[in-house]
Amino acid sequence: MVPGLATSETHVQRDLLKGYVPYPQVHDELLTSEGGLRSQWQKFVPALAQLGSPEIARRWEQSRKLIRENGVTYNVHGDPAGLARPWELDAVPLLLPTSEWKTISEGLIQRATLLNMVLADLYGPQRLLSEGLLPPELVFAHPGFLRPCKDLPVPRNRYLYLSAAHLARDRSGQWLVIADRTRGPTGAGYALENRLVMSRMMPDVFRDCQVERLASFFATLRETLQSGARQDQPRIVLLSPGPTSPTYFEDAYLSRYLGFTLVEGGDLTVRENHVYMKTLGGLMHVDVILRRVRDELCDPLELSGGSYQGVPGLTHAARSGTVLLANALGCSVVESAALVPFLPTLAHFFLREELKLNSVRTWWCGDGESLQYVSENFEKLVVKSSFPSARHTAISGGLLPKGQREEWIARIKARPQNYVAQELVTGSSAPMWAGGTLKACHVAVRTFAVASGDSYEVMPGGLARVSTSSDPLAESALGGQGSKDVWVLGDGPVANVSLLHPAGTMISLQRSGNDLPSRVADHLFWLGRHVERLEGTARVLRTTLTRLTSETSFSGSQSLGPLLKMLADLMAFPAPLRPSTTAPAMAVLEAELGRWISDPERHSLATMVSRMRGAATVVRDRLSLDSWRILNRLGQDLVTQGKDPATQLTDSLPLLNRLILDLAAFSGMGTESMTRGPGWRFLDLGRRLERAVQAMTVLKVALVEPPADEDSLFEALLEIGDSSMTYRNRYLTMLQLPPLLDLLLTDETNPRSVGFQVAALLGHVDALPHSNRQLLRSTEQRLILDTCTQLRLADVYALSLLDRQGRRSALERFLVRHSEQLRQLSDEISRNYLIHAGPARQLNEIRPST
Amino acid sequence: MKYKVTHTTIYDYSDAVPICHNEIRLWPRDHRRQTCLQHRLRIRPEPAHTDHRTDYFGNHAGQFAIEQPHNRLTVTAVSQVQVMPAEIPAPSSTPPWEDIRDRFAIGQPPWWLEARQFVLDSPDVRSSAALRELAEPSFTPGRPWLEAVLDLTRRIHADFKYDSTATTVNTPLETVLKIRRGVCQDFAHLQIGCLRSLGLPARYVSGYLLTQPPPGQPRLVGADASHAWVAAFSPEAGWIDFDPTNNVIPGVGHVTLAWGRDYGDVCPIKGVLVGGGQHRMRVAVDVAPIPD
Repeated sequence: MVPGLATSETHVQRDLLKGYVPYPQVHDELLTSEGGLRSQWQKFVPALAQLGSPEIARRWEQSRKLIRENGVTYNVHGDPAGLARPWELDAVPLLLPTSEWKTISEGLIQRATLLNMVLADLYGPQRLLSEGLLPPELVFAHPGFLRPCKDLPVPRNRYLYLSAAHLARDRSGQWLVIADRTRGPTGAGYALENRLVMSRMMPDVFRDCQVERLASFFATLRETLQSGARQDQPRIVLLSPGPTSPTYFEDAYLSRYLGFTLVEGGDLTVRENHVYMKTLGGLMHVDVILRRVRDELCDPLELSGGSYQGVPGLTHAARSGTVLLANALGCSVVESAALVPFLPTLAHFFLREELKLNSVRTWWCGDGESLQYVSENFEKLVVKSSFPSARHTAISGGLLPKGQREEWIARIKARPQNYVAQELVTGSSAPMWAGGTLKACHVAVRTFAVASGDSYEVMPGGLARVSTSSDPLAESALGGQGSKDVWVLGDGPVANVSLLHPAGTMISLQRSGNDLPSRVADHLFWLGRHVERLEGTARVLRTTLTRLTSETSFSGSQSLGPLLKMLADLMAFPAPLRPSTTAPAMAVLEAELGRWISDPERHSLATMVSRMRGAATVVRDRLSLDSWRILNRLGQDLVTQGKDPATQLTDSLPLLNRLILDLAAFSGMGTESMTRGPGWRFLDLGRRLERAVQAMTVLKVALVEPPADEDSLFEALLEIGDSSMTYRNRYLTMLQLPPLLDLLLTDETNPRSVGFQVAALLGHVDALPHSNRQLLRSTEQRLILDTCTQLRLADVYALSLLDRQGRRSALERFLVRHSEQLRQLSDEISRNYLIHAGPARQLNEIRPST
Repeated sequence: MKYKVTHTTIYDYSDAVPICHNEIRLWPRDHRRQTCLQHRLRIRPEPAHTDHRTDYFGNHAGQFAIEQPHNRLTVTAVSQVQVMPAEIPAPSSTPPWEDIRDRFAIGQPPWWLEARQFVLDSPDVRSSAALRELAEPSFTPGRPWLEAVLDLTRRIHADFKYDSTATTVNTPLETVLKIRRGVCQDFAHLQIGCLRSLGLPARYVSGYLLTQPPPGQPRLVGADASHAWVAAFSPEAGWIDFDPTNNVIPGVGHVTLAWGRDYGDVCPIKGVLVGGGQHRMRVAVDVAPIPD
């Protein structure tokens, strides 16, 4: 090495590490106790230093943008607005050497194997109880011990397919298991997303460090589920609690990555003990369910009632062996921290082994001596419930005021079996990126194991949680202040694994069929309508604003009245705003119009944007990443503007322009990137229907009762219909109604005309799945065929004529009739293809009335 | 005694129900004093499939699904049951109640494992200080277990008023304790809660009463519908039934359907359905003796 280079390297490296002070009295990930770099960091830190602060900052900003654009979010639990917060990722990964990871990994495999055996015993012979190895109270009082699942046959006695453990180091640097997660644990998808971001941010560093890839873990998960099913080509679905779940992003992300269909409870139905997915083409058999819905909510019939996340009859279908559930129902019973003190005995009983990975020291208060210890050492301990419910809460004895401490001890003594106490583990300190330098933070890691053959495989990496306070690190996948990628550094070159090309297997070809869940088709249909409604409204608003603010406002004032009326119609406001000639009245009008655009508190263009984004969120697994990026930035500035009281109406014009462009980009993504399957068809159906109805509304408001001077109104109509240029090419500056009506109503070559939408609708409706037995045209076919034919036969000259009252009543009749037919068409499509028969509900239970 | 039990449940819906899934516990179980000689189930409309299993507590549990649109669902269970009289030890001969409590304390070896779970809280019955206070006057120190439980049964019967309008199937135990009114389900839960709050095992029993009493005896409350009572456990005597609604020890006049930790475990019919609009439910129960 050139000596000078080495010096400059150490120099930048020194700058980078200058501000790094490890937390006292804990193990530090980066530095040894003598202050030198630990071996696993010896490639990474120089490489980071070489990049230099500004370059890291630049790449970091780009990565954060990528995260925002990819829409990586989590819903904050308990947040009433269900606000999706962006995911926080630190720029510095946690580095661990292979040798250390091997030990951890063996411990995790042993632990998953053991917990699986405990489950098989508790839901089977219960030797652990009858031989006195486990207090019966731990099991019998656990709400997660699902009695209907006792003796339910589980293929290969495999209960746990996916399990997670939360690890942190004690002061000596030894890794401890802080908590186990056994019911469809979350976090693996976030770990994967973190990895994609990090490897993109520092591709060179990532390669040089020989980081173990995560893909093999997911390949194993898929392989295990496929081979676990009875069928050769099983249909695997990922059952999600739905968009209100804190981890819906992950559900959608994982299902897409693994190639499983994302479903919610309402998409599935049990018929004759088999599980089916409701799709446009009928019921389709489901063989494997990767479950992200909590155990007890999976079946409102046999498990707990009142849940809409589950599928009635699912337990019995599993009992009949027609469907594989991963994880099996009832796995949460081993999630209890109260099990921890018994694990060494259980490991000995089942495996004749010592535990390879220790747990945090834990006392189950149901045991008299432990209760004594806990009440005497309360301030040093963290207290949890033995039987965790949905939310895992823990209190730190030392952080409670004295009075509350006494209260807690009394509460524990009243029901000792319900409480567990654990030693406080703050975790090691590790470097995090803090605006140019490295700063210390506490770190803990969530790890993942997946069933593989007769054993388990551990994800070579994980999800590190970061915290700068000394509170016990939250054990959830989402707790703490942020996350880190975990890099396990290989000894040699790392093999590339990709889920897309499983080596040596021949994939049978597939095209989009009718296996789209009806619910998804429904959402796509409405997304299409929302997008189009938004665009139509934005266009009318833009035309209105240019008339209001331009210098030619006086000449344009003739068209202002009808434009404001169109707006009221499109936005469903009861009364239109009225134009005026006085300046103060116009100021009031402008202010009100500004609220129509961006007021977040009431119905406005901004809330329409939010509604459309909401509609997009529920089908995000169906949208391409690029479409999603566009949606994510779409209309954001409009919402921001609404919060700023100082904005002027003129400020809105560029925002409207951008919104219209973004909507066009989104539509372009749909046209160019979506396969012409049923998903695209329903999106386009919604959009065409909405555009046709809107165009007819606009024409009706503008033309039925014409003002004295129609020219400015005609111009506005052409502008709204994006057809000014075509009109001028055809007719120069001669503005007349019949050619205008032809262009906007009947000309099927103009993508903005009603005729174009209707012709497209005709094609879509014909392509929908129809019953084979049906010889005559369906209602929806007849409706659209009639409208299409009438439009083709329409005489634009006759429609332009005024009657004796000076109204265009022929045009009015035409527009009213066909708007109505299109609304009927929408209802028919919903009824025949989209609406489920409604949510399932519980029968009023009969009570013994005596 | 031999009985023919006919239990009919009819659901009427204002809108058609396209699909429903149901779980039923209408087949009387066998136990030490009872044998079910015959059982028939009639469901209209015809279910797409029916299934049967023995549940966690050893009860007969049926499953059926109807997959055709229907406005009425009728479930009729007809059973022939033979019931033997209860053998009750002399109350004063039973051990002090504290002995039983101590043998079921946490940390004790796994004796009588099956009964262990009936000391613990269940979804509908959670032990509390208020329930313990209610029980304590009957459970004086050293009092024989059976004497104390019988006294508690008597006191619940005397202090709580039978009122079929005061509570619903979802009324929590705390409310029953406050308003001192309810029906057999409430009284059973109440007594179970009292016993568990003292650390004694107790379970919920669902079943029927003889519709027409033998000549000269009063007709018991709840004879024309399904009924519920309590069973308490002592290692020596096993499970003994108590009916706090009528202040009796159930004998040949009580037919057992099923038992569990509380009502939720043994609900005779539950279902999940789609659609249906408004619905109305009617139940008719007839228990008639069969002459030998």
